[in-house]
Amino acid sequence: MLFFSYFKDLVGGEVTVELKNDLAIRGTLHSVDQYLNIKLENTRVVDQDKYPHMLSVRNCFIRGSVVRYVQLPPDGVDIELLHDATRREARGG
Amino acid sequence: MTYGIRPFTNRSDDGAPILDTNNNERLMRVQPNVSIVLGNHAPESNGTLYISSKQVVWLSDADRAKGYAVDFVSVSLHAVSRDPEAFESPCIYTQIDTGDEDDESESSDSESSETPMDLSKITEMRLVPSDPTQLDTIFEVFCECAELNPEPVEEEEEPHNWIFSADQLGAGIDGDIPEWNDIQIPFTIGHANGDDDLASSVLELQINDQRFEDAEEMESDNSDEHHH
Repeated sequence: MLFFSYFKDLVGGEVTVELKNDLAIRGTLHSVDQYLNIKLENTRVVDQDKYPHMLSVRNCFIRGSVVRYVQLPPDGVDIELLHDATRREARGG
Repeated sequence: MTYGIRPFTNRSDDGAPILDTNNNERLMRVQPNVSIVLGNHAPESNGTLYISSKQVVWLSDADRAKGYAVDFVSVSLHAVSRDPEAFESPCIYTQIDTGDEDDESESSDSESSETPMDLSKITEMRLVPSDPTQLDTIFEVFCECAELNPEPVEEEEEPHNWIFSADQLGAGIDGDIPEWNDIQIPFTIGHANGDDDLASSVLELQINDQRFEDAEEMESDNSDEHHH
């Protein structure tokens, strides 16, 4: 749940979502749900030579289970807040 | 669980797919006049798209033996594609998880119109409605259904432990970071101490309405007496 809360705070920001099949899509985070399904807007494929057919896509829905990494804007991370929240979650586990 | 695209021929007499209604599968949307493009194969036209709460089904209008289905758990990504340079017609573009992680990234390149189709290897599917104004609606239905189909919980996975100790619950309510904790509290209530209390509350709620029945009987007895 921590990451769901965390990603919700990033809505409206620019992220890059890297899929487990190596496709990386950059875009504005439109929404995220409890399964970490991610909706992006104004998307563009990072490696356009490899995935030319994805050029046309302006918005997309990515299933949470196929996401490998989400790259965040540096100023989108409140390290103090994240430290504290992860510590809480670790204590609870 | 079946990954990827599979043939689908299970139709009722009216041509609609027979759904697993016993497991609450329900039809979310029917879109007539949709072509389907599997991988780099040639488009197959004149079909009807059925979106259920579990799967995407495309059935050929002319050939009752021809149809495809893919479960939402296998739909990795979906998007509206409108750029004619990427594909000649506006369409719903989807990436399909075949469950075969090794050649997933390259298999779309190796597909071609000449080779016979191996459905289990198809990693891309395009749905092309003849009416492109329907694309956004179909996209939203896909989103809704994707959320209805979360990942099945794998047995070997360590279960999440949402039970927090009492002092942590207190800390959460005190809330130096309330924004992050308010989501966790319902889970704590539900799992840690909710079940037992709920069961006893339900028992207490059972109303002993014996006296109401008695009153009714007495009333009818009285009226009988009056008649005598």
